[in-house]
Amino acid sequence: MNKPQNTLTSGLLSDNTVLSACMVISPVIMCGDTLQNALALVYAFSSITFISVLVSSFVPKRLPYTVKIIIYALISSLVYIPVRLAAQEFYPSSIERIGIYYPLLAVNSLIVYQTELKFFRMKKGRMIGSLVFHILGFDTVMLITGLVREILAYGTINGQMVDMDTLMSGLAQPFGGFIFLGILCGIYRKIRSAAMKSKNESRGEANVSD
Amino acid sequence: MLKKIKSERMVWMDVMLTLLVLELMSYFYYGVRALWIGGICIAVSLAAEFITLRMRSRRFTADDLSCTSDALIIALMMPAAIDIKIPAIACVFAVVAAKNVFGGRKNMIFSPAAAAYLLILTSWENDLLSYPAVYDKLGIFEQADELSSSASFIFNTTGSMDSTDYEILLGSFAGPMGTGSILLLIIIAVILILRRNISAGAFIGTISGTAFMAYICPIVDNAADSVKYVLSTNMILFAAIYIISDRRIAPAKNYYAFFYGLFIALFSYVVMLTTGKENVIVIASVLFTPLSLAFKNLEKKIASEKENEILESEYSDSPEENETTSSEDSEEGAESNE
Amino acid sequence: MFLINELIALLASNLILMQALGTSTLFIAAGSRRNLIGTAAVITVFTTVGSAAAYAVNHLTGQKYSDFTLFFYTLAVGILYVLLLTAMYFISRNAFDKFKKYIHVSAFNCAVMGTLFTIISDDLLAEESFSLTDYLSRGFEAGIGFVIAALILTAAYGRLNSSKVPSSFRGFPAMLIYLGIISMAVYSLK
Repeated sequence: MNKPQNTLTSGLLSDNTVLSACMVISPVIMCGDTLQNALALVYAFSSITFISVLVSSFVPKRLPYTVKIIIYALISSLVYIPVRLAAQEFYPSSIERIGIYYPLLAVNSLIVYQTELKFFRMKKGRMIGSLVFHILGFDTVMLITGLVREILAYGTINGQMVDMDTLMSGLAQPFGGFIFLGILCGIYRKIRSAAMKSKNESRGEANVSD
Repeated sequence: MLKKIKSERMVWMDVMLTLLVLELMSYFYYGVRALWIGGICIAVSLAAEFITLRMRSRRFTADDLSCTSDALIIALMMPAAIDIKIPAIACVFAVVAAKNVFGGRKNMIFSPAAAAYLLILTSWENDLLSYPAVYDKLGIFEQADELSSSASFIFNTTGSMDSTDYEILLGSFAGPMGTGSILLLIIIAVILILRRNISAGAFIGTISGTAFMAYICPIVDNAADSVKYVLSTNMILFAAIYIISDRRIAPAKNYYAFFYGLFIALFSYVVMLTTGKENVIVIASVLFTPLSLAFKNLEKKIASEKENEILESEYSDSPEENETTSSEDSEEGAESNE
Repeated sequence: MFLINELIALLASNLILMQALGTSTLFIAAGSRRNLIGTAAVITVFTTVGSAAAYAVNHLTGQKYSDFTLFFYTLAVGILYVLLLTAMYFISRNAFDKFKKYIHVSAFNCAVMGTLFTIISDDLLAEESFSLTDYLSRGFEAGIGFVIAALILTAAYGRLNSSKVPSSFRGFPAMLIYLGIISMAVYSLK
């Protein structure tokens, strides 16, 4: 299989945070069963990750790896406090339902590990751009998962009833999340490989015509 | 290779024939609706199999008809009054998520029918575990007048069994459409074991394990009655034949298959005894899939070790001869590579 | 019978099958026997000792600073992280070289932090507050849960990564669906 190119937007499409890199999957599986939950998680993940990575980028690079990782985690756990307080105003019911997965967003691997491996090796401007697309990658998957699972499991969209004859309540359970995410990931890979194939073919044709 | 293909098709044909007999029996008890559910399950499974194979750029061959036997197993585990959409969704799930996602019939991990049953159990438990009375013949779009719990559930929770031995042998008690005809299932088990269509080890392990547990920890006062009722309820016999002893899932060697069946039986009996849940054997069969896979890995490892030993002993017996052969082989390999 | 009931209890509270905590780490761990043993051992140490640290944090800070719970837990796990690496370094250089990657992967893992938060939320719901032993045993159970899930995945690892699996589902997606079906069976037992 062709390896996806590492571009600015790769975090959204070719190297999606959840579907390709297999990161931050537990909130998607456990809490991505309604659009309301998805929105609450999107808000928390986006704000915590963006602010934490941005602040962490000022941590001296000469420090030992272990110390840097601990500092990143501590920064994000501090950023989490105002984000949670604000979320209690906007999404009070969702926060309760999301439970332990809300604080876990603050120690997600995008902040703790990917910063060192990926973001801090880039220049600041590019890092911010790439970070935004990685966050958008998570947000998109979270919203799709929340929307589809809510329709199929509860027969509602954002709490509003839709005309669904047969509901599959199991899809709202953790096992439903595992299976749905697995299938979504397979579909994503299929589309990605088809897109790459057609891109390579058109590139090949262009070379021939040159 | 040709022999293997033939045997695969023969197994499917034998299993399918026995399932059709059970389907006929369910028609006798529940009327045309039993045939309708079976037919829809087969049609949906075939369509799902065809579409997924096309998506994988593969041709639909006669071997791929094996999905129809899984479809009939699903249909026979349903109550006759179930909403037709539910088994249809379960059939799609069985073909797509429990089978073809893992590579289809050449890389089977779960029993598709068991996985589909669990999907229904977790999403539509009330629809799955409410049964019409036997001989309540339903039309295709007809609703049952009254639904009740199965004889298995009543037996698990109260220890009482209202049906006579004759009714039990014929399967004339409330429950899934085609899993209660005990006499027929015994005959089917014997035929399929003799024709080597199902794993004898897994079947014997399951039945002996359940009987042993029912004898030493009886549900009713009389141990013999406990064995009799336990074996004839909770789809034990049906699942032992079509799910646990499925040659695609159970370990190949009877020795390992016996323990695989035995562990499922012990586990499901304890769960049944402590919680009163019905048809736990199907849940246990999925839960013990990793054990079956581990046994299969072990079988493969032992086989490859034996092969290596044989090769080594042959090599030590005639090193010169082997040297020439291996050099010839490598030359051939190089040629073919070119 | 007791053993089977214990097994069911372990499965029903399994941090991966029922809570999806540490799933991505599990995918890495199940790849080889060495990775499995290393990761499972380190995660069990972190969940067990970490739960003792969580007990200490809860009793020192109380409900007054509940907004800072995550910060204190992170600090506690961070200290544990450094201590474990230092201890390993002084005990044996060889073991340090072998195990450090597992310690790095496990320290701020969802499995570890999630276990700590699960224990505290159970503690808050319980009629009698948990003792240190309760915290330790629950932390250890979570580690054992990880081992069980890893063994379940290891048994199918070869088949899920086999060339017979369609390329778009090979590996991670097939593993998710496999775990999903096993999780469905565990859920059915509830």
